[in-house]
Parts: sequence; C-alpha cells; structure tokens
Amino acid sequence: MPVDAEKEITRLWKALHSAQDEIGKTYYRWRQVALEFAGDDVKSLDVALRAAEVFGKDIGKSILPRMNWLKGEEGFMMILGKTLAGLWITDGGLATVEKGEDPGEIFIKCTRDPWPTWAKEFGVPMEEVAICRERMYQSILEDVSVFMNIPLKIELQKAIPRGHGETVMRLYKAE
Amino acid sequence: MAKTIFKWDYSDYPGAKIYPHLFKPIQIGNLIIPNRIKYTATEENLNGLDGFVTDQGAAYLGERAKGVVGGLCFMQGVYMDEARMGQGYVGQAAAWDDKFIPGLKRLADAIHDARAVAGIQLMDCGRVGAVDVEYGHGPSAVPQRLRIFRPMKEMSKDEIKEMIQQHIDAAKRGVEAGFDVMEISGIVGYLVSNFVSGYTNRRTDEYGGDIRGRMQAVVEIIQGVKTVIPEDMPLGIRLCSEELLDDVRGNTPEESMESYKIAEEAGVDYISCTLGWQESIYPVISRDIPMGNWIHLAKRAKEHVSVPVSMAYRLFKPGLPNEKIGAGELDIWEMCRPMIADPLMPKKVLEGKEEEIRHCVACNLCLARLFRDAPMTCYINPICAHEANPEFAAPPPAEEEKEIMIVGAGPAGLECAYVAAQRGHEVHIYDKRDEIGGTLNEARHAPYGDDELWTCVEYQKVMCEKAGVNFHLGTEVTEEVIEDEMPDSVVLATGSVYSKLEVPGGDSDKIVYLADVMSGKAEVGEKVVVWGNRKPGIGCALHLAKQGKKVTLAGKDKTAGFDVNPSFKWRYMIYMRQNGIVAYNDCEIVEIDDAGIVVKTYDGYQWPIKCDTIVLADREPNESLKKAVQSEGIELFVVGDALIPRNLSSAVHDGYRIGMRI
Ligand SMILES: Cc1cc2nc3c(=O)[nH]c(=O)nc-3n(C[C@H](O)[C@H](O)[C@H](O)COP(=O)(O)O)c2cc1C
Ligand code: SF4
Repeated sequence: MPVDAEKEITRLWKALHSAQDEIGKTYYRWRQVALEFAGDDVKSLDVALRAAEVFGKDIGKSILPRMNWLKGEEGFMMILGKTLAGLWITDGGLATVEKGEDPGEIFIKCTRDPWPTWAKEFGVPMEEVAICRERMYQSILEDVSVFMNIPLKIELQKAIPRGHGETVMRLYKAE
Repeated sequence: MAKTIFKWDYSDYPGAKIYPHLFKPIQIGNLIIPNRIKYTATEENLNGLDGFVTDQGAAYLGERAKGVVGGLCFMQGVYMDEARMGQGYVGQAAAWDDKFIPGLKRLADAIHDARAVAGIQLMDCGRVGAVDVEYGHGPSAVPQRLRIFRPMKEMSKDEIKEMIQQHIDAAKRGVEAGFDVMEISGIVGYLVSNFVSGYTNRRTDEYGGDIRGRMQAVVEIIQGVKTVIPEDMPLGIRLCSEELLDDVRGNTPEESMESYKIAEEAGVDYISCTLGWQESIYPVISRDIPMGNWIHLAKRAKEHVSVPVSMAYRLFKPGLPNEKIGAGELDIWEMCRPMIADPLMPKKVLEGKEEEIRHCVACNLCLARLFRDAPMTCYINPICAHEANPEFAAPPPAEEEKEIMIVGAGPAGLECAYVAAQRGHEVHIYDKRDEIGGTLNEARHAPYGDDELWTCVEYQKVMCEKAGVNFHLGTEVTEEVIEDEMPDSVVLATGSVYSKLEVPGGDSDKIVYLADVMSGKAEVGEKVVVWGNRKPGIGCALHLAKQGKKVTLAGKDKTAGFDVNPSFKWRYMIYMRQNGIVAYNDCEIVEIDDAGIVVKTYDGYQWPIKCDTIVLADREPNESLKKAVQSEGIELFVVGDALIPRNLSSAVHDGYRIGMRI
C-alpha cells in the first residue's frame, strides 16, 4: 500500500492552516473575556497593549537561549530580526528581513498578515493590530537588550490595514 | 613553621612509586598537605530541606575522606543567607546561623576520622540560586538564559555589604566546626562568578566596571574572611579561567587571568582553576569531551599567579595529573565525579589497585538529579548516597550459602555475580558468547566517548575474579543445563532481544540487528533507517552517520533519547543535527517495501522513508528461560534488560541490588 503523498501533504497543510487560524481566534476570544471582566471603564486598547506586553515578555525569555554574539553586531541583529519575523511566519504571515543602511539596522517586512482578518471578524479596530505588534516586539526586546547589554529599539514604520500591501518595522540599536 | 595535621608516609605504597608527584606534600599558606589530591566540594542534596546535615550526608563524605588518603577533602558549598536567595539546591547545607555548627562539625569530624584535611566551601549560588524563593540575587538583574532558574534582582550596595558579611560569618562557623581549609566558590555561574563576569555584572558603582571593579566584592570577601580565620588556615578560591560565554560577551581569558592575579593580591593561598558556566553553550565535562582536554588551563593559570593551582575537569586517571604536577604545570589534582563514582579512587591508586576502580563515565546523571531536586545518585555506582546504610554499603554475608547460576555475563550479571560471591555464595556465571560484557561489546563502538562505558565491565571482571566467581563462557544455558545443575537460585541476566516488526515486509532482507551493525558484521547500505529512538538507536545512528551514511532515526518514544538524562541528552541532540540525522518520533512502522519503510505518526500521518537498510534497535526482554526455571521450582531473579530493556545504569543497579539480597 504505497503512501499517497499528495493526500498526506494536503491533510497536513489543512491541519497547519486550521491551527494557525485558531491562534488568532483564540487570542480574540480571550480578548473578549478580558474586556468583559475589565468592565466599561477600561479602554480596550489598554487591555490589548497590556496583553501584547505579557506576550512579548514571555516570548523574550524564550528566545534568550538563541541569542549569540559570535558573529558580531551585524550578525546578531540579523539573527534577531529573523527571529522576530519568524513569529509572524508561524502565525501564517509572509515576513522577510532586510539589512538597512545604518550598521546594525534591520527592516522586517510583512507582505501578508493574517491578524487584520481575524481582528475584523471580531470587530477589533485595525489600528490595534499594528500597535499591539509593535508593543509586543518592544517587550520582547526589553529582556534581550538587558541580556545582551545593547539598547535595542523597534518601531512601526508603515502599517497597511487589512493585511495587504506591506507592514514595515525598523529594528535598530539606540544611541 | 607550617602546620601538619596528620602525618602520612606513602613510601611503601606501590602507587607512590608509579605516581611520585601525586604523593608528595605541598604547602598551602601555612599548612602542609601530605599529598596532591583533593576531593572537590560536591552538592549531593542529602541534607535536610532546612539545611541541616544528615546521617546520609556525613556518611557520604566520610567515604570520600577515606579516598583522599590524607589529602584535601571538601564538604559541599554552603549557602549563607537566611533569606535563601543563595541556596541553589533543596538539600544544600546551610551556614547562616550558629545552629548549623554542630552539623558542620560532624562533617569535619568525619573527614578527620579518615586522617584527611577538612575543607569547607562558601557558596552563594547567585544566578543559580533561589531554589525555593521567588528571586535570585546578583550584581545586576540580567535575565536568565535558562528558564529553570529564577528571575534576578539587582543587589543594592547595602545588600552587597551584607552578603560579604555573610561570607565572613559563615567562615567563622567553619572555623568553629573544626575545618582546616576555607574555600570560596566562584564557579559556573554562582554569585562570586556573577560579580566577576562582564556578562552579569553591569554595575557602574565601585562593584562594577572593569575587571578590578567587578572583583571588588570578591576582594572584600577574601580580605574579610582572612580576618576571621586562623593564620594556619589556608584560604582558597575557585575561579573561572575561561567562562566560555563569548556568545553573550562574557569575560575574555585575559580578564579571567587578571581576576586570578587580583585574588592572589587580595590574599588567597591557592586558586582552583575552573571553567564554563551553567549558561554556556559549550560542553565541558560530558563524556564527549576527551579526558585531559582542559589541563592546559592550569598551566596558563600558573603562569599568572604564584600561589598553588589546583584543577579538576575530566582528569579521571592519575597519569596526566602526575605528569603535569611533575612538570610544574599543576599543583593539586582535584576530582569530583571520579570520587562520586568510586569514593576510594585515589586510595586504590596509592595501593596499586587501579584495576579495582569503578570509573565515572561522565554521563552527568549526578548533576541532572540535583537540578531536579532529587538526592544524588550515580549512574555507575549503586552505593552512592546509600553510604549510611550498612546493608547497602557493605552487604553482610549471606545467612545461607547458595549455589547461584547467573545466566548472562553482561553488566547486570557481572555486578550481581561479584556482590553475591563476596557475600559467600558459590556463583557460576554463564554466557553463550566467548567473552564477557554482553551487548556493551558492541554498544561501546558508538562515537562521542562511549568506549569509556567499557570501564564498567573491566572493573566488574576484576571484582568477579577476586570474589571467586566461576566463569562458563561459550556455554549456552538451556533447560537441560538447568536440570543438570539444579542450582539453588537462578539470576536471569539474559538481556533483551530485538522486537520483530510485525508488519507487511517485516521479513525483508533489508533488516539487520543493531549489535551486528555496531560490530561491523552486518552490511549496511548508504541510506539507513534506525528503528528505536532510545540511547542504543542514537548511538548506532551517530556511528553510521560518521561513516558518511544518510541516517534517519525513527521510534515509538515521544522524543529521541527519552532514556538519556537531560544533562547529557542535549549533546546527542546537537550531534544528531550536526551529523544530518533526521528523527521521526512518536511513530510506528506500517510497511516495509523495496523502496524503504512507511512510518505512521501518532496522529495518523504517513511518511515514506527511502532506505537500503533498516537497523532494529527496539528491544524487549529475553524471557526464554523464565518458564524453565520456574517449572523446576528454583528461586528466580531477573535483572537488567531481561527484566525491562533500559540502560547500563539500570543493569548495574539491578545487579547490585539482587546481589545484596540473594
Ligand atoms: C554533582 C556535582 C555537584 C557539585 N557541587 C559543587 C559545589 O558544591 N561546589 C563547587 O565548587 N563545585 C561543585 N561541583 C563542580 C565540581 O567540583 C567539579 O569542579 C566538576 O565536576 C569538574 O570536575 P570532575 O570532572 O572531576 O567532575 C559539582 C559537580 C557535580 C558533578
Ligand atoms: S552519575 Fe555519571 S557523571 Fe556522575 S559520577 Fe556517576 S558516572 Fe560520573
């Protein structure tokens, strides 16, 4: 009974996509719960930003074992950029990393992002998606900066609503 | 005049003639140590959860004290703060109050009973500490790289002063308890090393900055401790000669050597040369690192300081330290794991009984246990941590002498054989092979140091011969042999058999057995699947990958190397990656055909894997003689893989336990 490779890959692919879909949906379901408990006096954006910080802090800890200075500053920034882009890719996005003109400057570009679609489904404002990702990355960098003794910054330079076009983030070493 | 505590004369001992440099005295500070041997401080998690010394801890150390034959024997590093931020292990001994002095005295007395020099170590575990509290303390709050350790809090200047005072107070207690040598532990990521390293010390006050600033707290500890210990009590420090933290911008080797010079200036009487950090990505003491790999660091240390330099780290045999001491490149041979595995190791060297040494196999199980809050055990030494139990430590003679037939001369059978024979039984050990050692004969060909496992069999062989065990090699035990011999007891140590693949194609001629591959008997194609993802399978996969073959490892366990302790497993995972070995875990084989095999993952996905050869490494107990023995009504014991296929350690421990019970 030879393996039907096409069938196996299709099954796996479907399973991967539905798992990715659940990532976003689960997040927004929890967001609803958190807002219900928070009550009317709390701004939803504040809750979402706090969640982004918690996510970032935890992800930051988990990437520390991979931080490596052996390839010098440029190599380190590239690895870090790829790690951040990798988070987007895991969720189902298309993200790439490019070297900037300044030494150690990295651009993370995402040309396909599933988060705005999920957000729309749950009636979440598009701006929240972009700012939360920026905040999450900033929180990731907090521990990484202290750990590597290098002040790291990341900022959102361009965000396209609904996930089309290109979202650009700049990762750099602060003076 | 320098003080001598116990006089030793080694001139009549054979070992002193073979290794003259190991058995000559050395002056450290104002104390003469009769030889060049030191059992290093070793946590064993045998103390009470409240930090008090226990019978087990005292007996454990007493045995090691006998081993150093008059040399230095250190108790483990004590933590010194009531807040327990410096406590790194649940069973670590404490010295933060005078109430601990009687317990510490028991340890000093146990060492003195063996006429050895008693050392106490002060060890605040810093980043590796806070085992039972929320935060660890350190010079700066640098996040932990390894999640198992607690988050860090930066110490204020007052807290630093307090910590220095805690060292001084604990040192006083050590003096009162009767120790002869004082040591500060600054190794592998503990608090002292946290201050010294640029990676973890980011302070800008007088306790940070350049290497002098980062050494300031250490200097104050050294100077403070010096004021409370007697003139003839040497003070030493264990300091990193290479942190191996380049990837996170730790100290350079030059900075490390500078730290040695500063410690010497501050007044230490000797320096123990250490290396590596818990957080380092480089292996230092596992079996894949050849013995003697780091000894050049002692020579470099000696080029920078004039106080004596001691060193451990994979110095498992006496030859190299003897040579280096003779050449002036080392002063004292330190040992930790060699004396966990055999507490009397240097004594046996002195007595010319090296063949009776049970050698450490550098598996790091002892360490892995500590980090999992368990009392220490040793992979290869079943008595370790049971020294306080006389039945275990020196099994008494058997009440009734029996004729015992042991079937299988692998590590389980051999261990059982000599222990039972020492207790007065008449022991006959059989094996259908012409040689002893069982499947270890083949398994030892796995790369990355597995040849060292064979030392276990060499030791057991000698012990069996000395205990008068009767060998019947090249003799297959059948029902008829059992009927003819009719022994009082039978121990089945028949090992395991490879599990048959009950799937379509399961009789394919592509299938070979692991033992035949490892011995070179089986022909193996270029593309290989090794079926069975435990240690034997991994060893075989690496062995084949080293020959340039494309190897896939597949097996039923959720992760590869489920039977390897975490302190060694990470090495295998790296080597598998480096050797291009792909692993399919948590799966079964559903079919074998001309192209290769099809595996099905736990969640139902099927993968074809092309291969020319399938190596069977998955095992089940060999129970072939069980019924025959039972039907004769003979007392039956089953040990090692014949009970459940496991690892070498289980074989040795099973064998010992049955040997002492039978
Ligand atoms: C189980 C275990 C416990 C240890 N505890 C201590 C300790 O309390 N203080 C210390 O300075 N080093 C400690 N070490 C490090 C050893 O003293 C030694 O430096 C290291 O194991 C390398 O030497 P070896 O190859 O002879 O084992 C410990 C090592 C092991 C394996
Ligand atoms: S557990 Fe392993 S590393 Fe530790 S002493 Fe025993 S054999 Fe050596």
